[in-house]
Amino acid sequence: MRHTRDVHTLAGPYAMDAISPPDRARFDRHLARCEDCAREIASLREATARLAAAAAVSPPPALKARVMAAAAATRQRPPAPEPEPALRTRPLHTWPLRTWPLRTRPLPTRQGRPTPSRRLVMAAGAVAAAAAVAAAVVFGLSSGGMRDQLSQAQASSQQVAAVLTARDATMMTGAVRGGGTVTIVMSHSMRELVFTAAALHALPASRGYELWLIGPAGDRAVIMLPPARHGMTGPVVASGLRPGDHLALTAEPASGAVHPAGRPTTPMMLDVVL
Amino acid sequence: MTAIDRSDPDRARPSAAEPGAAADLTTYLRLVARGDADAFDTVYDQVAATVFGIVRRVVRDPAQSEEVTQDVLLEVWRNAAKFDPGRGSATAWVMTLAHRRAVDRVRSVQKESERERRTAVADVPFDEVAEAVESSLERERVRRCLGSLTELQRESVTLAYYGGYTYSQVASLLGVPGGTIKTRMRDALIRLRDCLGVAS
Repeated sequence: MRHTRDVHTLAGPYAMDAISPPDRARFDRHLARCEDCAREIASLREATARLAAAAAVSPPPALKARVMAAAAATRQRPPAPEPEPALRTRPLHTWPLRTWPLRTRPLPTRQGRPTPSRRLVMAAGAVAAAAAVAAAVVFGLSSGGMRDQLSQAQASSQQVAAVLTARDATMMTGAVRGGGTVTIVMSHSMRELVFTAAALHALPASRGYELWLIGPAGDRAVIMLPPARHGMTGPVVASGLRPGDHLALTAEPASGAVHPAGRPTTPMMLDVVL
Repeated sequence: MTAIDRSDPDRARPSAAEPGAAADLTTYLRLVARGDADAFDTVYDQVAATVFGIVRRVVRDPAQSEEVTQDVLLEVWRNAAKFDPGRGSATAWVMTLAHRRAVDRVRSVQKESERERRTAVADVPFDEVAEAVESSLERERVRRCLGSLTELQRESVTLAYYGGYTYSQVASLLGVPGGTIKTRMRDALIRLRDCLGVAS
């Protein structure tokens, strides 16, 4: 991952769509974290809109009838992908989440500065190393529960490792309403994330924590979280992330939420914008 | 927000030629978001020429340009509820959709026609569109502001925005390092924005 300042120089190309899809995705993520950059892009787009206006040409008259007919047969999308009001049985508190990329710096070689290709390879290695450190933290490998955590993770360990070592792996942490912290490592390109939690408030045996993806593509129950071991929950993998999704955590009956619409039935204790 | 009396059959329908049209586009988009087909009719009248113009400039092929224009306007219809006036003007929102769709179309068919397009872009100066509908004053203003840029800035903007090239393609077309082009593009847009008196 390049340095933020390098990303920022893409503002001009980005405002004119003069950018490759990977660079576009990278800058989109940068924009989500950089209020000033979002404002700059907005102002530059007012300028490019004027370039477009200067090119205006009347379309063939028949086009209008086609567009109107197509619109009449096209369902509109709902407003911004916020959780539906029905879910908010009481005020929803969202803890601020810190987001940072797993950023690494290439190490100097004995010969001096690394060549670009070597640098890339080394950066990839460093990302993997950083991800392994993250994994150690996330999975509590440094704690006494190492073996338990590992065996629990075995079934999905390959999937977990793939997310943790993804080139665009991003780590987020957040606080859970009611107690506990979560750590998420997400790969946009893989549309997957690894979720773990520490020190979640203990629930009675009749209830369990359930993980949800909530967004414009619909609400999906991901998984009932396994019971905590040595205070650690997970890791679990959520796949099939869609744009606009939120990750939510609820306490449900241990058998899982029963609801015709497949939505959480209890208040959300965590709401992460992915 | 301006209230519009839906029961009034003679309610004002500003056209693109009238001043203040842009301010109303936001209002009409809100109505479109609620499924108002009449409001969409008005939005079409306000933006279709600009959308078609920029799409045609980038895509060039008339039939494909019509297809892309139709896609863009349908996207406006479908996603009107997602337009957020706090993050830019309605015009900029629509033009961003339009330009991105045009560029996506070009890049998906780029390989076979790259050579041909390269010639075509070089052949058409930015101010030469026969059936222009925008007021000559506005066109003149944009032309003048483009003229105030350095040659490298102007070529970067013209090739990227009207030509649909990526900055690295622009860099190789102009024989200039990619890093330089990125910087020139940003500088150029900032100068254009200031010259055109765009509210930021």
